[in-house]
Amino acid sequence: MLVLSRRVGESVVVGDDVTITVLEVRGDVVRVGIDAPRSVRVHRAELLAELAASNTESASPSEDAVASLNEELTRALRKRS
Amino acid sequence: MIATMTETPAGVQQQLPVIELVRPMPGFPDTHRFTLEPLDDTGVLSALRSLDHADLKFLVVSPGTFHPTYAPEIDDETAAALGLTSSEQALVLLVVHAGRDLASTTVNLRAPIVVNIETSRAAQVILDEVAHSVATPLLG
Repeated sequence: MLVLSRRVGESVVVGDDVTITVLEVRGDVVRVGIDAPRSVRVHRAELLAELAASNTESASPSEDAVASLNEELTRALRKRS
Repeated sequence: MIATMTETPAGVQQQLPVIELVRPMPGFPDTHRFTLEPLDDTGVLSALRSLDHADLKFLVVSPGTFHPTYAPEIDDETAAALGLTSSEQALVLLVVHAGRDLASTTVNLRAPIVVNIETSRAAQVILDEVAHSVATPLLG
Protein backbone atom coordinates (compact mmCIF):
# COMPACT_ATOMS: atom_id res chain seq x y z
CA MET A 1 0.00 0.00 0.00
CA LEU A 2 1.25 3.46 -0.86
CA VAL A 3 1.07 5.73 2.18
CA LEU A 4 1.13 9.52 1.76
CA SER A 5 0.78 12.36 4.26
CA ARG A 6 -1.47 15.19 3.15
CA ARG A 7 -2.65 18.43 4.73
CA VAL A 8 -6.12 19.92 4.47
CA GLY A 9 -6.59 21.29 0.99
CA GLU A 10 -4.00 18.98 -0.53
CA SER A 11 -4.86 16.25 -3.02
CA VAL A 12 -3.69 13.02 -4.52
CA VAL A 13 -4.34 12.10 -8.13
CA VAL A 14 -5.14 8.49 -9.02
CA GLY A 15 -4.68 7.55 -12.66
CA ASP A 16 -5.51 10.21 -15.22
CA ASP A 17 -8.77 11.57 -13.93
CA VAL A 18 -9.44 10.81 -10.27
CA THR A 19 -8.52 13.48 -7.70
CA ILE A 20 -9.01 12.95 -3.99
CA THR A 21 -8.77 16.05 -1.79
CA VAL A 22 -8.61 16.24 2.00
CA LEU A 23 -11.29 18.81 2.86
CA GLU A 24 -11.40 18.77 6.64
CA VAL A 25 -9.91 16.94 9.59
CA ARG A 26 -11.84 17.02 12.83
CA GLY A 27 -10.84 14.59 15.56
CA ASP A 28 -10.84 11.14 14.02
CA VAL A 29 -13.10 12.16 11.13
CA VAL A 30 -11.52 13.05 7.81
CA ARG A 31 -13.70 14.49 5.04
CA VAL A 32 -12.47 13.82 1.56
CA GLY A 33 -13.70 15.10 -1.76
CA ILE A 34 -13.49 12.80 -4.76
CA ASP A 35 -13.45 14.15 -8.26
CA ALA A 36 -13.91 11.34 -10.75
CA PRO A 37 -15.61 10.73 -14.08
CA ARG A 38 -19.12 9.31 -13.83
CA SER A 39 -17.91 5.97 -15.11
CA VAL A 40 -15.86 5.54 -11.93
CA ARG A 41 -18.18 4.28 -9.21
CA VAL A 42 -17.29 5.51 -5.73
CA HIS A 43 -18.71 3.75 -2.66
CA ARG A 44 -17.92 3.55 1.02
CA ALA A 45 -15.99 0.32 1.54
CA GLU A 46 -18.29 -0.82 4.35
CA LEU A 47 -21.36 -0.55 2.10
CA LEU A 48 -19.76 -2.85 -0.47
CA ALA A 49 -18.76 -5.23 2.32
CA GLU A 50 -22.33 -5.13 3.67
CA LEU A 51 -23.75 -5.89 0.21
CA ALA A 52 -21.25 -8.70 -0.34
CA ALA A 53 -22.21 -10.21 3.03
CA SER A 54 -25.92 -9.80 2.28
CA ASN A 55 -25.55 -11.44 -1.15
CA THR A 56 -23.49 -14.29 0.32
CA GLU A 57 -26.06 -14.93 3.06
CA SER A 58 -28.90 -14.83 0.52
CA ALA A 59 -27.18 -17.10 -2.01
CA SER A 60 -28.33 -20.65 -2.65
CA PRO A 61 -30.95 -21.26 0.04
CA SER A 62 -31.75 -24.93 0.67
CA GLU A 63 -34.54 -26.59 -1.29
CA ASP A 64 -36.46 -26.91 1.97
CA ALA A 65 -36.19 -23.19 2.66
CA VAL A 66 -37.36 -22.37 -0.87
CA ALA A 67 -40.29 -24.77 -0.65
CA SER A 68 -41.50 -23.50 2.73
CA LEU A 69 -41.07 -19.86 1.72
CA ASN A 70 -43.00 -20.50 -1.46
CA GLU A 71 -45.77 -22.20 0.49
CA GLU A 72 -46.01 -19.48 3.16
CA LEU A 73 -45.89 -16.77 0.54
CA THR A 74 -48.67 -18.31 -1.54
CA ARG A 75 -50.82 -18.61 1.58
CA ALA A 76 -50.10 -15.03 2.69
CA LEU A 77 -50.86 -13.59 -0.73
CA ARG A 78 -54.06 -15.60 -1.07
CA LYS A 79 -55.21 -14.23 2.29
CA ARG A 80 -54.54 -10.71 1.09
CA SER A 81 -56.52 -10.92 -2.13
CA MET B 1 -32.09 9.66 -13.84
CA ILE B 2 -34.59 7.03 -14.80
CA ALA B 3 -37.48 6.36 -12.46
CA THR B 4 -38.50 2.75 -12.56
CA MET B 5 -41.88 1.12 -12.33
CA THR B 6 -42.56 -1.42 -9.65
CA GLU B 7 -45.12 -3.36 -11.63
CA THR B 8 -43.92 -6.23 -13.72
CA PRO B 9 -45.75 -6.79 -16.98
CA ALA B 10 -47.45 -10.18 -16.70
CA GLY B 11 -45.54 -13.04 -18.22
CA VAL B 12 -42.41 -11.05 -18.89
CA GLN B 13 -40.22 -13.23 -16.70
CA GLN B 14 -40.91 -16.37 -18.70
CA GLN B 15 -39.60 -14.74 -21.84
CA LEU B 16 -36.26 -13.68 -20.45
CA PRO B 17 -33.27 -15.41 -22.01
CA VAL B 18 -29.79 -15.45 -20.49
CA ILE B 19 -29.25 -12.44 -18.26
CA GLU B 20 -25.79 -10.93 -18.50
CA LEU B 21 -24.50 -8.82 -15.62
CA VAL B 22 -22.56 -5.82 -16.90
CA ARG B 23 -20.69 -5.83 -13.58
CA PRO B 24 -20.60 -8.56 -10.99
CA MET B 25 -22.66 -8.59 -7.79
CA PRO B 26 -20.64 -7.65 -4.69
CA GLY B 27 -19.24 -10.87 -3.22
CA PHE B 28 -19.51 -12.79 -6.52
CA PRO B 29 -16.76 -11.36 -8.71
CA ASP B 30 -16.68 -14.07 -11.40
CA THR B 31 -20.38 -14.67 -11.88
CA HIS B 32 -21.87 -12.97 -14.90
CA ARG B 33 -24.58 -15.09 -16.55
CA PHE B 34 -27.91 -16.07 -15.04
CA THR B 35 -31.30 -17.38 -16.04
CA LEU B 36 -34.51 -16.26 -14.38
CA GLU B 37 -37.02 -18.99 -13.59
CA PRO B 38 -40.39 -18.55 -11.87
CA LEU B 39 -40.74 -20.81 -8.83
CA ASP B 40 -44.50 -20.73 -8.52
CA ASP B 41 -47.60 -20.38 -10.66
CA THR B 42 -48.17 -16.78 -9.67
CA GLY B 43 -44.64 -15.77 -10.71
CA VAL B 44 -44.07 -13.86 -7.48
CA LEU B 45 -41.00 -15.79 -6.41
CA SER B 46 -38.30 -16.47 -8.98
CA ALA B 47 -34.84 -17.97 -8.98
CA LEU B 48 -31.88 -16.22 -10.53
CA ARG B 49 -29.75 -19.21 -11.38
CA SER B 50 -26.06 -18.87 -12.24
CA LEU B 51 -24.84 -20.36 -15.49
CA ASP B 52 -21.23 -19.95 -14.35
CA HIS B 53 -21.56 -21.82 -11.05
CA ALA B 54 -23.98 -24.72 -11.12
CA ASP B 55 -24.98 -24.57 -7.44
CA LEU B 56 -25.40 -20.81 -7.17
CA LYS B 57 -28.81 -19.20 -7.20
CA PHE B 58 -30.60 -16.26 -5.65
CA LEU B 59 -34.27 -15.94 -4.83
CA VAL B 60 -35.75 -12.75 -6.23
CA VAL B 61 -39.13 -11.01 -6.18
CA SER B 62 -40.59 -8.05 -7.99
CA PRO B 63 -41.05 -5.28 -5.45
CA GLY B 64 -44.59 -4.32 -6.52
CA THR B 65 -46.45 -6.97 -4.55
CA PHE B 66 -44.65 -6.19 -1.29
CA HIS B 67 -43.37 -2.63 -1.46
CA PRO B 68 -45.70 -0.85 -3.87
CA THR B 69 -44.20 2.59 -3.31
CA TYR B 70 -40.64 1.44 -3.98
CA ALA B 71 -39.36 3.29 -7.05
CA PRO B 72 -35.58 3.22 -7.24
CA GLU B 73 -33.84 5.89 -9.29
CA ILE B 74 -31.14 4.47 -11.47
CA ASP B 75 -28.09 6.65 -11.96
CA ASP B 76 -27.28 7.78 -15.49
CA GLU B 77 -24.07 5.77 -15.68
CA THR B 78 -25.83 2.50 -14.86
CA ALA B 79 -28.72 3.35 -17.19
CA ALA B 80 -26.17 3.86 -19.98
CA ALA B 81 -24.33 0.62 -19.13
CA LEU B 82 -27.63 -1.28 -19.30
CA GLY B 83 -28.79 0.57 -22.41
CA LEU B 84 -31.91 1.79 -20.59
CA THR B 85 -33.70 4.71 -22.16
CA SER B 86 -37.12 4.38 -20.54
CA SER B 87 -38.57 2.91 -17.37
CA GLU B 88 -40.68 0.46 -19.40
CA GLN B 89 -37.49 -1.39 -20.34
CA ALA B 90 -36.47 -1.93 -16.71
CA LEU B 91 -37.38 -5.00 -14.69
CA VAL B 92 -36.58 -4.46 -11.01
CA LEU B 93 -35.88 -7.52 -8.85
CA LEU B 94 -35.10 -7.68 -5.15
CA VAL B 95 -32.70 -10.27 -3.75
CA VAL B 96 -34.48 -12.30 -1.08
CA HIS B 97 -32.79 -13.57 2.07
CA ALA B 98 -34.91 -16.56 3.11
CA GLY B 99 -35.27 -16.55 6.87
CA ARG B 100 -36.56 -19.30 9.16
CA ASP B 101 -40.08 -18.23 8.25
CA LEU B 102 -41.88 -15.62 6.19
CA ALA B 103 -41.74 -13.01 8.97
CA SER B 104 -37.94 -13.17 9.18
CA THR B 105 -37.45 -13.19 5.40
CA THR B 106 -35.91 -9.98 4.09
CA VAL B 107 -35.24 -8.28 0.78
CA ASN B 108 -32.42 -5.97 -0.24
CA LEU B 109 -33.93 -2.58 -1.12
CA ARG B 110 -30.55 -0.85 -1.16
CA ALA B 111 -29.22 -2.76 -4.14
CA PRO B 112 -31.94 -4.03 -6.51
CA ILE B 113 -31.08 -6.03 -9.60
CA VAL B 114 -32.19 -4.08 -12.64
CA VAL B 115 -32.64 -5.93 -15.92
CA ASN B 116 -33.09 -4.36 -19.32
CA ILE B 117 -35.83 -6.64 -20.61
CA GLU B 118 -34.99 -5.83 -24.23
CA THR B 119 -31.27 -6.62 -24.08
CA SER B 120 -31.16 -8.83 -20.93
CA ARG B 121 -28.27 -6.77 -19.62
CA ALA B 122 -28.44 -6.36 -15.87
CA ALA B 123 -26.65 -5.01 -12.81
CA GLN B 124 -27.11 -4.93 -9.07
CA VAL B 125 -27.54 -1.19 -8.67
CA ILE B 126 -26.31 0.40 -5.45
CA LEU B 127 -28.73 3.19 -4.61
CA ASP B 128 -27.74 6.39 -2.87
CA GLU B 129 -30.79 6.41 -0.60
CA VAL B 130 -29.55 5.42 2.84
CA ALA B 131 -33.18 4.88 3.95
CA HIS B 132 -33.27 1.67 1.89
CA SER B 133 -31.96 -1.21 4.00
CA VAL B 134 -30.15 -4.26 2.64
CA ALA B 135 -32.38 -6.31 4.96
CA THR B 136 -35.95 -4.97 4.81
CA PRO B 137 -38.73 -7.35 5.88
CA LEU B 138 -40.33 -8.82 2.75
CA LEU B 139 -43.74 -8.24 4.27
CA GLY B 140 -43.07 -4.64 5.27
